Amino acid sequence: MTNSIAIALAVARKDLTAEWRTRELVPALAQFVVLALIIANFGFQIDARNAPSIAPGVLWMALVFAGLVAFGRAFAAEREQASLEAMLMTPASPVAIFAGKALAATLLLIGCEAVLLPALALFFGTPLSAAIVSAVLLATIGMAALGCLFSAMVARIRARELLLPLLTLPLWIPFIVAGGQAVQVAMGATGNYDQALALLVDFDILFVVLTSLAARFVLDE
Amino acid sequence: MSILVANGLTQWFGSEVALEAIDLAIDSGEHMAVLGENGAGKTTLLRILATAARPTSGGLEIMGLDALRERKRLRRRIGFVAHAPGLYPALSAKENLEFFSTLQGVPRERVAETLALVGLSQVARRPAGQLSRGMQQRLAIGRAILHDPKLLVLDEPDASLGSDAAELLEAVMHDRTVVLATHDHALANRLCRRTLVLRHGRSVGTATRLHIVQ
Repeated sequence: MTNSIAIALAVARKDLTAEWRTRELVPALAQFVVLALIIANFGFQIDARNAPSIAPGVLWMALVFAGLVAFGRAFAAEREQASLEAMLMTPASPVAIFAGKALAATLLLIGCEAVLLPALALFFGTPLSAAIVSAVLLATIGMAALGCLFSAMVARIRARELLLPLLTLPLWIPFIVAGGQAVQVAMGATGNYDQALALLVDFDILFVVLTSLAARFVLDE
Repeated sequence: MSILVANGLTQWFGSEVALEAIDLAIDSGEHMAVLGENGAGKTTLLRILATAARPTSGGLEIMGLDALRERKRLRRRIGFVAHAPGLYPALSAKENLEFFSTLQGVPRERVAETLALVGLSQVARRPAGQLSRGMQQRLAIGRAILHDPKLLVLDEPDASLGSDAAELLEAVMHDRTVVLATHDHALANRLCRRTLVLRHGRSVGTATRLHIVQ
């Protein structure tokens, strides 16, 4: 167990170090989400009255597409460098390797969210509260687990950019529904915030366990 | 005593047969070369022997274990140098090996020893992406021997090494059982006692040094 945690942390550290040195992903994603917000800001007639109802939708749209790119790169880069096989040729548990990759991808997406949420508050005039941040972070965990699993599955396929959204988006819907509801309530709409957050926690546990079980078979072949 | 026994190894890719009914037995400490033209099945065979791929049919026993069922246990004892170096270009040579030492569960001290053995101590802090192709190949060889494997499977390791390829390979092959695929007959002859020749996925036969020279 301790060994698996050490391996997962080593994999995550390796991915974050590589990203820090190359700065390939996070700056591009941050630019993407800011551009998405600017386009949405011009596309909708935003005012103080309709901003709380439009902003959550824009937030999740930006997050979903940024997530697809972040998680898609998680395994695609390993395949391109032929380094995934080198990792799998070690006695390290595939689940630990997967957990490390998912952890790094989650942290990279959180880095992107650190730009997205203040930018949303700036462009839409919505509050930037702990309730919104909590909902987004909880959704990110489950979305990362699913995104990384499908990223590993499609990494060896030529049409991976097409397949990844097709496989991932349907299973992200629970997070978008529950997360969307939580963010809407946090922005002033009526509804039950605690219930939405509890749903997110349930989905996180379910999908983290399921993807960990599946990762062994996906990575081992 | 045979450390590796393969029976009828066959690999199909769709309707193409890449490897057909290969039988093989390699003794402990033996160095065996695999020769053949491009597409003869060398890489396919080596990937199966290294447990990186499963054959369509056939049996493989390595160190007394069923290699198709006990892959995880065997990987502690097998080192594999594939066609592509499979390194992390943003990490230094030392960081690459440190990362794999964690995955292999071997002490960090092995990293410095290994870098010295493959002649990369001077460039240990240079990013792997900035190393020459030959140095990257040395690093890949270093990664393969980091955990001191008993069986070493080398797929054309000499492809981008310099003129001292034979000396380096001799050093890393010492005291190990080795399967080495190469196009270089002279190198195979120098490093290996026995040679398996493949053609269109089939074994043409094995030969000793003398036969290959002739």
